Amino acid sequence: MPILEAQSLTKTFRRPDKASGFKGAVKHLMQRKYKNYTAVDGIDLSIEPGESVAYVGPNGAGKSTTVKLLTGILRPSEGTVRVMGRDPHTERIANAHDIGVLFGQRTQLWWDLPVEESLKLLKHMYGVSDADYKRRIEKFDELLDLGEFMPALARTLSLGQRMRADLACALIHDPKMVYLDEPTIGLDISVKDRLRAFLRELVNDGTTLLLTSHDLADIEEVCERIVVIDKGAIAYDGSIDRLKAHYITTKAVNLYLEGAADVPELAEKFPDYEWAAGEAPSEVTVTYESGRFTTAEVLGSLTAQLSPRDLSLSEPSIEDVIRRLYAGELTK
Amino acid sequence: MSHSIAVDRALVVIAFKRRLAYKSHWFFGLAIGGGSMLIAMVMWQNLIGSGTLSGYDWDSMRAYTIIGFVAATMVFGAADWTMADRILDGHVAVDLTKPVDFQRARAAEYIGSMLSTFPTAVMGVVAAWLLFDPPGPVSPLAGLLTVVSFAFMFPLAFGLTYLSTLVCFWTKRYLGIMWLREALLSFFSGLMIPLAFMPGWLQAVAWALPFPHFTTTPSAIYLGRVDTAGALGLLAAEAAWAVGLWVLGWLVFRSAVKRVTVHGG
Repeated sequence: MPILEAQSLTKTFRRPDKASGFKGAVKHLMQRKYKNYTAVDGIDLSIEPGESVAYVGPNGAGKSTTVKLLTGILRPSEGTVRVMGRDPHTERIANAHDIGVLFGQRTQLWWDLPVEESLKLLKHMYGVSDADYKRRIEKFDELLDLGEFMPALARTLSLGQRMRADLACALIHDPKMVYLDEPTIGLDISVKDRLRAFLRELVNDGTTLLLTSHDLADIEEVCERIVVIDKGAIAYDGSIDRLKAHYITTKAVNLYLEGAADVPELAEKFPDYEWAAGEAPSEVTVTYESGRFTTAEVLGSLTAQLSPRDLSLSEPSIEDVIRRLYAGELTK
Repeated sequence: MSHSIAVDRALVVIAFKRRLAYKSHWFFGLAIGGGSMLIAMVMWQNLIGSGTLSGYDWDSMRAYTIIGFVAATMVFGAADWTMADRILDGHVAVDLTKPVDFQRARAAEYIGSMLSTFPTAVMGVVAAWLLFDPPGPVSPLAGLLTVVSFAFMFPLAFGLTYLSTLVCFWTKRYLGIMWLREALLSFFSGLMIPLAFMPGWLQAVAWALPFPHFTTTPSAIYLGRVDTAGALGLLAAEAAWAVGLWVLGWLVFRSAVKRVTVHGG
């Protein structure tokens, strides 16, 4: 049975339709006009216990709105959500016991108090026993180095520290279902790495995870399934591996030649591959269909006839696929 | 049950500590409240002299002014804008992911914040007592009932503040609402001038509202302007307002939570 199920989930917002400037403001005051705009448009989503799902989409695609609908903050305009059998909006308090939520852009720490006080208050709210609290804090300290800033006032933390503390707040009650809305936003590489390692561990322990992010490395390292949303609707839903297998049909080799590369001449010589000039005059990129040729075949024929100074293989990137999905080039 | 009381207590304590974190607030509160009290004292002394005004002589007016000071310190010293700010900047989204009743949690925070005005009120009262030597309560029972009346200020002030912050779900602005609430409270509570000085119809308007319980009710009980039965009636009215505002707040929240829109991030 799925832990989370959404059916034709829709959220429509009413936005004032106001012309700019003073004239527009006066006109709006006299005659109010509104425009409806649909942030989430008929989403069907089902998540099984233990799954780790990346929820991806360009800015304004409706990711955060979906998370707010799934966590019970917003009331759907249409459609239904069930999380562990409950409606998260009408049964908000019961639902809140079983979920953990992190909004990367909004802290849940009390701004003018030490981090420890915020965690202790949450301990009370979730009814966490002293023993569990102690054990979890120790674990967070080990994985996120929480101890160093537990006594610090939340407003004095760096962004990386704040995010780690917020993550501890979201997980202090060992929730079954965790929503992380952009947990790595604005963080440097080393903090991101730590956070990802922590999230992998969380998933390995059986926690169900829904993660939104613009950072595709978060997604590849933490999640198995990816849901791509665009203009409020789902553009792709499936495993990351299938996304790659399905949409990454070409591979590429970069060649570094002795002299300047003559792209038209090379294209004529090897008509089966696609040729493009590289960054330097002596560099050239060869793209080939991975279903037709093996990499060994391609490298064999190229090195035999061109004897390049050096070569490198381009890893197929999920980033390209998602970029193309956003651009509407690919369909389900 | 004991678990939710532990949550309430934790919220009260945290709100109290948050207010104490800003010590300058305190001193400003004391300076402004104490200053207003001094000005009122000088004004009434000159206006009343050795006579009476609508039943108030200089003795009773000194007690009245001190009671007004305590009420004002409690109501205006509480951090009412933090609730509104969270609605306006979208942090209410975080509050709604917590497994606690929204209204009850905000009430606990508000009470903690109101309790943090206690040191200011005590310091002001002690100083005023030394300077002006006001009369004591008309009877020990009246003194006790005055304290009860002050205790009702917690739910009353919370109810009014909660309702006015919930309006932010619709207006997306708070300042105007806060000013309106504070102006109504200052005027109809008797904080600016005693209600007895106003024309009858205006007094009737005031008594149809919850505001008189913020100065007029405790001072009337303290000074014996009402007998014991009258005092109990006033306390009953306070209790009714406390319940009524709580229910109204609950109803308004139910409708407000359907309107939550938190955009971006």
